[in-house]
Amino acid sequence: MAAEADNAKPTFLSPPQEGKQPIVSLRGITKRFPGVIALDHIDLDIYPGTVHALLGENGAGKSTLVKVLYGIYTPDEGEIIINGKPTRLTSPAEAINMGIVMVSQSPQIIDRLTVAENIILGLKKYKYFVPVTKVYKTIREESKKVGIKIEPGIEVWRLSYTQKQLVEILRAILLGAKVLLLDEAITYLPIEEKQRFYKFIRKFADEGGTVVLITHKIYEAMDVADKITVLRRGKVAGHLDRKEATIEKIRKLMFGERSAEITYERLPTATPEDKTILEVKDLWVMGDFGGYAVQDVSLEVKKGEVLGIAGVAGNGQKELIQAIMRLRPVVKGRIIYNGEDITRKSTYYLRVNGVGYIPDLPAKYGVSIENTILENIAVLPVYSRGIIDWNKLRELTLKLIKEFEIKTPSPDTPVKFLSGGNIMKVLVARELTVATNLLVAYNPTRALDEATAIKVRKIIKDKVLKDKVSAIIASEDLDEIFQISDRIAVMNSGKIVGVFPADKAKREEIEHLMVM
Amino acid sequence: MVIVRRVKPLPYWIIPIIALLAGIAVSMIILYILAGASPAAVFSAIAYGFTRPGVIAKIFIALTIVGIALLVSFKGSIWNIGGEGQITFGMMAAAWVALFTMLPYINPGLAQASMIILAMIAGGFWALLAALPRAYLGLDEVPVTLIMNYIAYYIVDLLVYGPWRGKSTYNYPRTDTIPSQAMFPQIPGTTMTWDGLFLLIITFIGVWYLLRNTSIGLRIKILGNNPNLLRSSGINVPLTIILALTISGLIAGSVGALYLGGDVYHIGYPIESQTANYGYTGILVAWLSMLELIAVPLAAYIVSALYEAGIKYQTLVGGNLGGMLASGTSAIVDIFIGSILLLYTILITFSEYKIKIIIER
Amino acid sequence: MSGSILSFIVGASSLFLAYYLAAVGHGLMEKSGILNLAIDGVFTLGVAIAFAVSVYTLSVPMAILATSIIAALFGLMLAFITTKLPISHGAAGLSTMFLGYGLAALVGLPAKVVENKRLISGSEGLAIIQPSLGYMWVWFYVAVFIVAVSIWYLIEKTKIGAAIRAAGENPASAEALGVNVLAVRLFASGVGYALIGIGAAIFELAYSPVWSQGKGMGYGWIAFAISLSAGRHPILTLVPAMIFAALEKFRFIIESTYNVPTDLGKMLPFVAAIAAMIIFMVTPLKRKLAPPKSLGKIYFREERTV
Repeated sequence: MAAEADNAKPTFLSPPQEGKQPIVSLRGITKRFPGVIALDHIDLDIYPGTVHALLGENGAGKSTLVKVLYGIYTPDEGEIIINGKPTRLTSPAEAINMGIVMVSQSPQIIDRLTVAENIILGLKKYKYFVPVTKVYKTIREESKKVGIKIEPGIEVWRLSYTQKQLVEILRAILLGAKVLLLDEAITYLPIEEKQRFYKFIRKFADEGGTVVLITHKIYEAMDVADKITVLRRGKVAGHLDRKEATIEKIRKLMFGERSAEITYERLPTATPEDKTILEVKDLWVMGDFGGYAVQDVSLEVKKGEVLGIAGVAGNGQKELIQAIMRLRPVVKGRIIYNGEDITRKSTYYLRVNGVGYIPDLPAKYGVSIENTILENIAVLPVYSRGIIDWNKLRELTLKLIKEFEIKTPSPDTPVKFLSGGNIMKVLVARELTVATNLLVAYNPTRALDEATAIKVRKIIKDKVLKDKVSAIIASEDLDEIFQISDRIAVMNSGKIVGVFPADKAKREEIEHLMVM
Repeated sequence: MVIVRRVKPLPYWIIPIIALLAGIAVSMIILYILAGASPAAVFSAIAYGFTRPGVIAKIFIALTIVGIALLVSFKGSIWNIGGEGQITFGMMAAAWVALFTMLPYINPGLAQASMIILAMIAGGFWALLAALPRAYLGLDEVPVTLIMNYIAYYIVDLLVYGPWRGKSTYNYPRTDTIPSQAMFPQIPGTTMTWDGLFLLIITFIGVWYLLRNTSIGLRIKILGNNPNLLRSSGINVPLTIILALTISGLIAGSVGALYLGGDVYHIGYPIESQTANYGYTGILVAWLSMLELIAVPLAAYIVSALYEAGIKYQTLVGGNLGGMLASGTSAIVDIFIGSILLLYTILITFSEYKIKIIIER
Repeated sequence: MSGSILSFIVGASSLFLAYYLAAVGHGLMEKSGILNLAIDGVFTLGVAIAFAVSVYTLSVPMAILATSIIAALFGLMLAFITTKLPISHGAAGLSTMFLGYGLAALVGLPAKVVENKRLISGSEGLAIIQPSLGYMWVWFYVAVFIVAVSIWYLIEKTKIGAAIRAAGENPASAEALGVNVLAVRLFASGVGYALIGIGAAIFELAYSPVWSQGKGMGYGWIAFAISLSAGRHPILTLVPAMIFAALEKFRFIIESTYNVPTDLGKMLPFVAAIAAMIIFMVTPLKRKLAPPKSLGKIYFREERTV
């Protein structure tokens, strides 16, 4: 599908920008962290009234650059020039003062507060002791103008992901944003919602505002940007005008010599055996805020196949995966694993009976970064019951380090010293080793750079093909789902709204089902 | 001014030493300003404490064992502030064996061993009560264990004032002195007992083995760093919490037996004024050791010296402050503990981070 | 009968006020995300300072002022170090607690000597508050209720209240939304501890104007439990505060009527405190009045400008 967009017309085109002064310029911006140069003498000009895409794979430095622009990081070298004047930004509040507002992939707005409370926090003109209700009128007026219908007094936790992002945009406008930094803000929205945001972005730019769109999805840039800057390994790899940009050119800039490896082609389809490894029957699971997150879901995973679960964040996939892993109670229905009804059994049972688990936010839920690699592997109950046999575990760890090419000085290195990609490798290595029957995963390659992500998907698929291990993988990244799955189930509002064989599935249909 | 992560963290032992010295300095200043205590007097008291290993031996034993006890639960990020209550309960159990059973007269060795074992069980039980709400309700263990210290005091007070009041104390509220068969034999030339020394060695080895080679030990360590990993690995997190706190209480309880059988030989009333405050001072020991088992004896030695300095200061100075302090040691020791710990907490940041000045252009 | 109810309520009221102020101040600070384990230490210190200043100056207003200012300073210090540096709230709080205990003894003991000398020579030892409001007691409770509602309004309905709650829920997001987390926490902790200080002063000067080393220890933890079991809700906190104050009053009555040993009586408030906290955690209260999500979490963003 990315390939199809190659020669397609961009959705929008902007009026020419010659002769205008840049509204934001970066000169020689450098940022170092221990052991790595995140930004290496970045030069960048952003013109008012344009949509400027900042493309790069995970780890290329886009996020760091945006945080510099937003005052969260202070650059070690270089300067930021806003409206012709060199400026020092030391906090988001100062950036907001200069008209720069950031909306990121996970909403910043706080669940427990209302929409109005979240918005008023950034509006300087309201003094500290005023009642929050004073801002209601302004919110209602502005949201009508933008075409959103949100009640100012509603608590944010009641909103869907898309609605939260809409509130974020509303907030940015009310803060008087002249430069909108969208840090992967719309990357995980389904295509119909994305179109709404595209329209808004275009309108914003046409009316003189500036949008910096940070993303790692090439087609997003191609769909809506006027200018494209590609970052690779902390340096500017190239600047392109949309008119002259092609997918091929961009890929070359993003990946350099490795662009041949990076392909979204489907991995080989597996032929499952007739045995059912995991069966979910009429499952109902509660969400965190009351109400059912999973409603009457029935699924089946056969031995030796990958079932992918596609869906926008917040439609119950997280709760479904947690319920399967027995990390969340089941209200109604049954889960049957390898012939055993495990609905009332504990996570322990699964973990000692051949189930591997890659949770969402692996650094938070899947490893303990203060402990060593060895300890992170040893903690699994299959490896440590009673007295621990460290020699055997050390052997195993060394083997995994070699097999998965984990870059580390030794198995006794605390995990926090590893790079994000290597932490993921430790997790995947560990889980694939214990997953003799089933791998359960949620967003298994999020935040990994493209090459590593594809490698990880290949490793998982290999295990499925060769060892006939089954996998149920939920992901918010549709590219990933298409790449790795044999069958795709679509989840929407807690229900399964469609199941398709992956090689015959139509992307538009799936995306439509995700939103409807 | 910016706070930046260091490329290489400072060697881990530098900060405790700086905090120690700075804390003592701050304490001296406080004592001087508020109590007119001459720094020279305080300093000589501290010097006294550090140079009398024989005198501080019993404090050292107690604090090392308590330090190890707290280390176990602190490693799991379970903040056992209830050492005092666990020690008190242990003392109560030991007193029961020594005073209200015939065991000391039948078999002194067995009696002393029972005192220690029952003290451990009592301490473990008291910790278990606090562990349950923490494990299953998520109720912060700090206020609970701390409040239970008070409850433990009053339970023992109740007993000592009433049914346990001594027969040969002229109706004075205290227990009888324990029979000589129940007194732990002293190591000549020091204030410590053979039982104490033995207990220390066993505890040290036991906890070393626990943390290094058992799955419980590993799980406690990971509990302290990321309980989510335990959960997704299928390990029972509430059980791990309970084990961490209960084992801690077990070990702490034994100090109650040592205190009764090797130091005071009776329980006075109210016990709050008789307590040696090992439960609280032990917190300083555990923290100063940075939760490294090997460092606990060293930290305990240092804190024992300071503790003794607090006592010594009273006798050296007499006068205003010395004469007035009802439960003598506790005010000065509290100042020491508070200053050192607070400075330690703040300074530990600087082992990982440093302050960088950026010159504005 | 009604006469004794009146004296009962008036008698209970100074402890009620002390408990309430300490608890609501504590709750305010914790709402901004800082775990406050120093409360007992600073409360004890506050009691000693109120005593000492009252002895030295024979002025109740001076005593209350001095206590609340010094307590506020502790609050500001705690807020500053826990927000600017990545340090453990629990460690900071507990070490401050010990410091508070020690300082309390050093502050109170010399004052005690002065008071004793005065009492021997027949003159006034220290200035106290006479809690005999007579028929004014209704207005007393009305006033306290108004204070409670005002604090509630501040927290729930105003912008600064939203900022405080934001800092407590998610300081990083709050910062991104434009909140100056440090300023907000300084405000919440300064005001919160000032209230704790006033509560300590009232405890000493109105409720039980005698002082000995260790006076006040444990009462801070009761206030902690009161605040927690009321979900840190400024108006609801009135309820457990009243219950615990009444408990103390009842305790003396029951002890003398039924010959209950004092040690059992002393145990009672503490057992009740734990029970109250457990009840809160077990009932739906815990969800409705959930603690701030980032309470006690270390907030530190690398690369922040100080």
